Amino acid sequence: MTGIVDADSVTKRYGEVLGLNGFSATFPPGITGLVGPNGAGKSTLFRLLAGQLRCDAGTLTLLGFPAWGQGEFRRRVGYCPEHASLFDWMTGADFVTTLLRVDGFPRAEAQERALRAIETVGLTEARDRRLKAYSKGMRQRIKLAQCIAHDPQLILLDEPLNGVDPVGRAHLSALLRQLSATGHHLIVSSHVLYEVERLTDQIVMIAHGQAIAQGDLHRIRDLIDSRPHMVDLETPDPRGVAKLLGAWDHVVSIEFTGPGKLRVLTRSPEAFYAALPALVVTEKLDVRSVHSADDNLDAVFRYLAGGGR
Amino acid sequence: MTGEWTRLVAVTWLSLRSSLRGWRLAGLSAFALIPTLIVVSVASTHPAASTLSNSAEALFGLLTLPIVTMVIVLVLSVGQFRNEIDNETLLYLSDRSITRPMIVVGKYLGSLAAALVLVIPAALLPLAVASWGGGNGYPAVVPLTVAAAAALAAIAYGGFFLFLGLVSRAALLIGILYGFLWEELVPLLPGSAPRLTLVFYLRNFLSTELTTGPLSGYPAPLTATASILVPIALAAVFVVLGSLAFRYLETAPERESA
Repeated sequence: MTGIVDADSVTKRYGEVLGLNGFSATFPPGITGLVGPNGAGKSTLFRLLAGQLRCDAGTLTLLGFPAWGQGEFRRRVGYCPEHASLFDWMTGADFVTTLLRVDGFPRAEAQERALRAIETVGLTEARDRRLKAYSKGMRQRIKLAQCIAHDPQLILLDEPLNGVDPVGRAHLSALLRQLSATGHHLIVSSHVLYEVERLTDQIVMIAHGQAIAQGDLHRIRDLIDSRPHMVDLETPDPRGVAKLLGAWDHVVSIEFTGPGKLRVLTRSPEAFYAALPALVVTEKLDVRSVHSADDNLDAVFRYLAGGGR
Repeated sequence: MTGEWTRLVAVTWLSLRSSLRGWRLAGLSAFALIPTLIVVSVASTHPAASTLSNSAEALFGLLTLPIVTMVIVLVLSVGQFRNEIDNETLLYLSDRSITRPMIVVGKYLGSLAAALVLVIPAALLPLAVASWGGGNGYPAVVPLTVAAAAALAAIAYGGFFLFLGLVSRAALLIGILYGFLWEELVPLLPGSAPRLTLVFYLRNFLSTELTTGPLSGYPAPLTATASILVPIALAAVFVVLGSLAFRYLETAPERESA
């Protein structure tokens, strides 16, 4: 394996609970999305990579170094944790500067780098405010600032867009793409597939502590698309709508899931979505909502974890 | 400064500032004032000058050194790692290029500096109040020796409690039991048993340096040098043990998984 991060049969237990269960994956250069539902093992993997935890079994390396290790190579790694608190009594500038000093940067250079990183994440105006006064999104951004301030080669971002407002998300997404374009390697975790899709095509999917799929997102999507998709509809006339949809040859089954609710299983979601608007117009149907249950990442994981590999 | 020194100074400064903040600082400051308040209340009864001076001096050996200093150092030292593991701020240090032993040394020095900020005034203020409040003045050797003994206590207890905080989640409880049972009861035992306590060496130091007054009456079978070196050596041993323990310590909070 020759990735930026290589995991080979990594297992991590928390007492009786398995955080990672024989996780194996190779993270290539560039941006890789680590996608999985909550509790899948994403944060455990990041904590192992950050040297907070030690593998119970298997091997885990980053930039060729064992993850459970210290030394100068850690200067080449930046970690933006999801849950960690901050030193709330510090100002944003003080926080980033102090951590750069802990990395051995001289005072003047640390201050200069901190200001630059804070500017990069768009917090210049708030840099002298205490961290306890920061909003959740601002806290996320100052964590990102400390993560990139030392210009690391590999950047680990655990749910970096969580809690960030839409404008901030767009800004951060652009920043992450820019970091990748300037030669940084990023591993970005998320439980929201579309967030990762905007950043990269390269993903590792994780569920129940295992890598269940890895590679190009479009290939994984094709794999998913080869199986029937679920679509939920809401209409005051479910029987009438069901009768019309049942005539389509790609519709496998229709289920009445509640008052005014239908669940349709189709082998061709593209054909379904293309034909539905025309049907609604021509038959004057009152369809109030259409929701692809398979857009929900959990459904994708259930499918893949259930043997779709 | 080289990179290693920069790292050490940064962790020490961070640890010092973290230690002396908010309610903890307010509570420990109030606690440190107890001996002074006792001397103030004694002075308010207008005792004989020698009685007031001796009371303030004796209070150091009975209260300030074994209880006030010990508790302040305990609170400041055991929280250095345990609190930061629980709220995950320790990862901002442990995922950096600084070595783990250096983090332990930096945190030890930071908590020691914070302890000195509180225990030195706790040791000296009662003497000052006694002098200004009608007592006899003290020769310079008394406040110097008292301050040195308080510093020695902070050095020694600090190393031990920092180690406790690294290896046990019940460090505060163990530290309290150690301070109030072991350090108080074992010195009462006959023979060499008292040498198994830190307070024995601290009191030995007081007795060897002071020839008159209440603090000169403790057993002093050792030289002053020995009574200084033993606590410092013990602190160094515990800092080294703490560094070894921290190399293998997982620093993610136990409550979370996946």
